[in-house]
Amino acid sequence: MEIVREFFSNPYYVQVMTLMGIFLISALGLNLITGITGQFSFGHAAFMSIGAYCSALLSLHLPLPFLLNLVVGGIAAALFGVLLGFPSLRLTGDYLGITTLGFGEIVRVVFINLKVTGGARGLAGIPKETAPWLVLILVLASLAAVYRLQYSRYGRALTAIREDEIAAEAMGINTVRYKIQAFALGTFFAGISGGLFAHLIQYLNPSDFGFARSFEILNYVVLGGLGSIPGTVLGTAVLSLAPEFLRFVKDYRMLIYGGLMVAMMIFRPHGLLGGVDLQRWWRRWRQPREMSGGAV
Amino acid sequence: MNKRYGVLLLAVLLLALAAAGCSSSQQAEQPAAPAEVIKIGFLGAKTGGHAHYGIETLKGMQMAVDDLNAQGGVAGKKLEIVEGDHGSNTSEAANVTQKLITQKVSAIVGDPTTGITLTAAQICQPAKVVLLSAGAVGPGVVEIGDYIYRDTLLDSVAAPAVTKYLANELKWKKVVVVTTTGLPYSEGLTGIFKPALIQNGIEIVAEQSIMEKDTNFSAQVTSLAQKQFDGVVFTGYYTEGALFMKEMRKQGLNQVMVGGDGLLGKELYQLGEKAVEGSMVYAGFAADEKNAAGVTKQFIDKYKNKFGTLPDMFASQGYDAVMILAGAMKQSNSGDPTVFKTALAQTKNFQGVTGNISFDSRREPIKSPVYLLEVKDAAFSVKSVIPVAQP
Amino acid sequence: MFLQQLVNGLTLGTTYALIALGYTMVYGIIQLINFAHGEVYMIGAFVGLILVGVYQVNFVLAMVGAMAVCMVVAILIERIAYRPLRRSTRLAPLISAIGMSTVLQTGVTLLRGGPNPLPFPHVVEDTVYVLGPVQFSLIQLLILIVAAGLMIGLQYIVKYTRTGKAMRAASEDFETAQLMGINVNRVISFTFALGAALAGAGGVLVGMYFNSIHPFMGVSVGLKSFCAAVVGGIGSIPGAMLGGIFLGIAEVMGVAAGFDTYKEAIAFALLILVLLFRPTGILGHPIQKKV
Repeated sequence: MEIVREFFSNPYYVQVMTLMGIFLISALGLNLITGITGQFSFGHAAFMSIGAYCSALLSLHLPLPFLLNLVVGGIAAALFGVLLGFPSLRLTGDYLGITTLGFGEIVRVVFINLKVTGGARGLAGIPKETAPWLVLILVLASLAAVYRLQYSRYGRALTAIREDEIAAEAMGINTVRYKIQAFALGTFFAGISGGLFAHLIQYLNPSDFGFARSFEILNYVVLGGLGSIPGTVLGTAVLSLAPEFLRFVKDYRMLIYGGLMVAMMIFRPHGLLGGVDLQRWWRRWRQPREMSGGAV
Repeated sequence: MNKRYGVLLLAVLLLALAAAGCSSSQQAEQPAAPAEVIKIGFLGAKTGGHAHYGIETLKGMQMAVDDLNAQGGVAGKKLEIVEGDHGSNTSEAANVTQKLITQKVSAIVGDPTTGITLTAAQICQPAKVVLLSAGAVGPGVVEIGDYIYRDTLLDSVAAPAVTKYLANELKWKKVVVVTTTGLPYSEGLTGIFKPALIQNGIEIVAEQSIMEKDTNFSAQVTSLAQKQFDGVVFTGYYTEGALFMKEMRKQGLNQVMVGGDGLLGKELYQLGEKAVEGSMVYAGFAADEKNAAGVTKQFIDKYKNKFGTLPDMFASQGYDAVMILAGAMKQSNSGDPTVFKTALAQTKNFQGVTGNISFDSRREPIKSPVYLLEVKDAAFSVKSVIPVAQP
Repeated sequence: MFLQQLVNGLTLGTTYALIALGYTMVYGIIQLINFAHGEVYMIGAFVGLILVGVYQVNFVLAMVGAMAVCMVVAILIERIAYRPLRRSTRLAPLISAIGMSTVLQTGVTLLRGGPNPLPFPHVVEDTVYVLGPVQFSLIQLLILIVAAGLMIGLQYIVKYTRTGKAMRAASEDFETAQLMGINVNRVISFTFALGAALAGAGGVLVGMYFNSIHPFMGVSVGLKSFCAAVVGGIGSIPGAMLGGIFLGIAEVMGVAAGFDTYKEAIAFALLILVLLFRPTGILGHPIQKKV
């Protein structure tokens, strides 16, 4: 317990854990869009930046409460998410991926040029509002939300769209509506996480939210397993804590990440926990005797 | 390939990550530093586009720390440098500054660039850690708070002095101004040059903008090709400056450029080769071996012996930065920034390597003269030493 | 002056076209966006630098050398990162591609000792040729001539050789091509190699043109060239050439008009517009989706 107390009294460690929580919220959003609904989205970080800048500007210029700013940031991101949802109706797979990537880059360039967001120099002096306990609560809330979503009729519809969109449509699922909603929800999460990020680091720079960041978050989800919520948690945990440990080999860090991604895709494309149904494990653990099959 | 081997490979990779992590985190959790050491943080880049500034500043800092420790340290304690390398990346710089503060540094020397100094200052001021930049010359820095300082020759006084020289001595009448958009240093410097140019009767026939990391200037230079002008006022960094000049020569334009210490780096002529011959750079300090005296001469000689070349502005200002901090600490007999910052603000007539430095009531440094360097035969040589009118 | 900017744009555009061709050919056959292609271009530039700087060869040999190395690199990449994934989901090879590109970027950074730009030595004189209202620098002319030559060569290979025919067959209908006895593995490797040769040549040319290369130069150029390929019509070789040139001119005109800070977004804006209003691109064929 001594270790735990010492761990939490070190502000640097607490910051690392808080950041991990923030990225987890974002990753859960991406998991919803790409993992569960099967829509490629390679510009996820752009939505974080929209949420971040919106909430930051509100905090800096208007005397509104922080939580309100946070939510407004999330809604702003979601609005753009809906905007991006529309091309998703007409494009599939790779094309959608490239469009989202392009969108992400355009957002980044726009922010570099906007004077009100400080341009390439960035936005500094954002008040520090993000508290670790707030992030913890939001992480738990996000997890609960995504879980309920995945194991409901709604979630099954999304999964159907992922597996075979035309068949889903034939079964009466309004794919248009569901896809747009998936984008809206996933990007809302991203926007919230962006706002939390802004009010923790107190400094925003457009280059923080480029393709490299989008790819990073994609890695979190893919490593854990696309579509698997515990997978996303695991992936985010491993990959966001690793750089802290790997600072001494930070030159090789990206090399290892890249290689890891290639290896993952070849040997275990479902990710670490993809295809692993934790609910079944849980049931099996609780009632061991009933699960022993017929044969003796 | 056998799936089983693949999974094994993956497991090994992940284990390696974790193992590396555990072992290095043991190292990172050193016990709190012994109270006999005063830590000074270095904030700068050792890699990336700003590497030259950072590496040189660190050299100067290390020389100062070695000198001070040889004399018994400061306020009874030895000095130690804690390095923070942000790789020329602004957001990484914010992280690194935070990390240095967590490691309980008494002061941070950095950043050599205006933009990152602005960012770092926003973090140091509320954290009550002194930040002394040995390179930030743009406006808006010390206004951030009373823990923020610098020992540089400000663009706001140097650029007008240089402009006067361009008008009176070089008889320039028309110029083109090239700004690196998004770079606070460059935007600030352009803002200082423009009124100075107008005041000295020099006409600005065109303005161009580029971005950091651009390599393709063909469009911008083509737009200039039809115009008449005597020179280019380039307010950005050395990489882009060198490439811009090369493009100009490629399109048959022969004018030279003049700029501030953002161009001060050997990469300027390494990358620019013949295209930058004759281009001018001004800086708060240049090693003028012939005329140096006192502590300046000692420093130049020591640097030359150690590194084989002459020191530039960044190394010397880095040296002075540590010395100024040490002076304030000695005066207050404390390594605690909340204590010694008062003595620091009152520093007057400090005989530094880069000249005589005093902090005025706004904590801005007052220094003179400005050195105008020229690229000649792939090296910087002193073209003129221009006295600076104090504001 | 407009014409002069057009020349600048044309030169830039042909470099994009050289790289776009690689993307379009690979996509045409295996429907994969070869994210690592930009890095092949970057490796070409570095190999060119080494050949010219260390071994002091002339620029023709440097280009040939770079092309050869890039072909080998591309074939290796295909073998390691893409072939094992031919039967898996659409996302897997994409992620593998991005991972591969990161590995190459970091690898070269480590070998070079840092991400800083390296100067490309002068191989070609700075002479300027005046043709009426415009002037061409020797290097611009070289780029245009070499690129044109390479593209003509490519068209020849694709249209008149057996392997070229096999490529077209595989791109038309992969499974039937296999049934017809075409060794698709070899065809795919060949396609990768062709694209890489062009990209490698492009890398050397760009290195000479801009005098500066760095390990991440493939990132932005790669993405933009891919956009060019899509705008021109992915899967179509003339489309890639057209798209590349169009993009180069658009970018230079944008900068000349004062929008330098937006120039990275020009490519993506064009891409999104094209995808929304004419998804098959300017010269592309409509794609039928079979159920």
